Amino acid sequence: MGHVKEINVLIIVFTEMRDKLRKWREDNHRNSEQIVDVGEELINEHASKLGDDIWIIYEQVMIAALDCSRDDLAWTCLQELKKQFPGSQRVKRLAGMRLEALEKYEDASKQYDSILQDDPTNTAARKRKISILKAQGKSAEAIRELNEYLEQFVGDQEAWHELSELYINEHDYGKAAFCLEELMMTNPHNHLYCEQYAEVKYTQGGLENLELSRKYFAQALKLNNGNMRALFGLYMSASHIAASPKVNATVKKANVKYAAWATNQINRAYQLAGRGTKENKCSVKAVEEMLESMQITMS
Amino acid sequence: MAEPELLLDSNIRLWVVLPIVFITFLVGVIRHYVSILLQSDKKLTLEQVSDSQILIRSRILRENGKYIPKQSFLMRKFYFNNQEDGFFKNTKRKVVPPSPMTDPSMLTDMMKGNVTNVLPMILIGGWINWTFSGFVTTKVPFPLTLRFKPMLQQGIELLSLDASWVSSASWYFLNVFGLRSMYSLILGQDNGADQSRIMQEQMSGAAMAMPADTNKAFKAEWEALELTDHQWALENIEEELMSRELDLDGMFSKELPTGIF
Repeated sequence: MGHVKEINVLIIVFTEMRDKLRKWREDNHRNSEQIVDVGEELINEHASKLGDDIWIIYEQVMIAALDCSRDDLAWTCLQELKKQFPGSQRVKRLAGMRLEALEKYEDASKQYDSILQDDPTNTAARKRKISILKAQGKSAEAIRELNEYLEQFVGDQEAWHELSELYINEHDYGKAAFCLEELMMTNPHNHLYCEQYAEVKYTQGGLENLELSRKYFAQALKLNNGNMRALFGLYMSASHIAASPKVNATVKKANVKYAAWATNQINRAYQLAGRGTKENKCSVKAVEEMLESMQITMS
Repeated sequence: MAEPELLLDSNIRLWVVLPIVFITFLVGVIRHYVSILLQSDKKLTLEQVSDSQILIRSRILRENGKYIPKQSFLMRKFYFNNQEDGFFKNTKRKVVPPSPMTDPSMLTDMMKGNVTNVLPMILIGGWINWTFSGFVTTKVPFPLTLRFKPMLQQGIELLSLDASWVSSASWYFLNVFGLRSMYSLILGQDNGADQSRIMQEQMSGAAMAMPADTNKAFKAEWEALELTDHQWALENIEEELMSRELDLDGMFSKELPTGIF
């Protein structure tokens, strides 16, 4: 499958290639192999037709080349950019990234420090330094540095998300929840943040957290009716609360109702998914059995 | 009162009205590009960046705090507004009012602003007045009092002429302000040819009075945050969600989108 796609790439016209690169750039895709294929062709064959676009394409291709360990290509791109923009901080950061890819972390760190000397507000260099710590596996230090960074730049959403991921890896769910709350506030309509927050709360456990997680799974579903993970999460959290011995009867009844509703929706979804296929009946039955087995006995 | 309608030579329209429009427009475009060339980099300090982001965070807390649990909201509000060590209570930034004397870059900025905007206007206004003088150019569609005559009818010495008939100089000034919307259409917002905006900035006091504002901004945020209450948006979310079936249309179609291509 991969090879067929590569051949299709080469046949596509120049403008399509350039537009695809732009789309990947804008959507922040990390499909580095494809970028390297398309970008290399574009740079080698069609450099003259690109005009001023070529510089940003050099940057995009260089980063993708570093991902694919294509140091030759990365070096070429870097040289071209250095010639065109001597003394640019953006180019210095790319040079630092290349050193990182070659695992020369000391040199990369020095490079970023020199950028920060010139311009203390440069966020990109700081974030690269934190990535170096992450790459070296020093997660405690990375967390500490990231916290300091966020004290200065409270609005950097990418950083908040990164920090929440680091905390989850350290199993510090309380702090991860804090980071996700920041993200939920700045992006109230993003169902994925709600869902992630609900999952963290569910993992923390305890009645209060389960209630919160159920609410946030519901919110994620409200924002995006098609979020199956949130639907399952809603079912799980409602069932858990209903099965807990500490709840009173009204709460239990309510949660059983929620769980039942969720079950209905799950069944509906699987019915819709398998319309007309032979496997449909099997998968629907499998879902029903799974839901029954997950039913924690309501005593 | 019924006044005799003056019939203007159509040559006036061709050789005066339209050229003035073109001249004004072109000068505006040139001004825009010149201002871009002469722009000096605004260096922000780390503290300024940090402060502006903190203010944004506080504002977002006020607006979207209802999406996070009550406990979290209170925790953040406490952090900002606490009597003893709340951020807004305690942080005092050094206030340095940027007067033109102490801040050399501010002085050059002001000079550049003057040169690019006021000077051309005066020069070209004068040139148009000199070139296109002695005749009436156009009529404004609303009646004006006699007081406007000396201002709008420079060079026309007719006492009995209605004040609505104006000279080319006033047509020029009309254009300068009228073409503002054209500039935003063609050059995009925040363009250097937008004179009235620049004049407003000059009139409203020293430009970039940010440092003094920071303390005031903090105080304003503190007050606003004190007043905010937490109305949890998720209070009845389950009832809202389960009042109807999920909309699963379009989720499962036979042809799934194949990856990136």
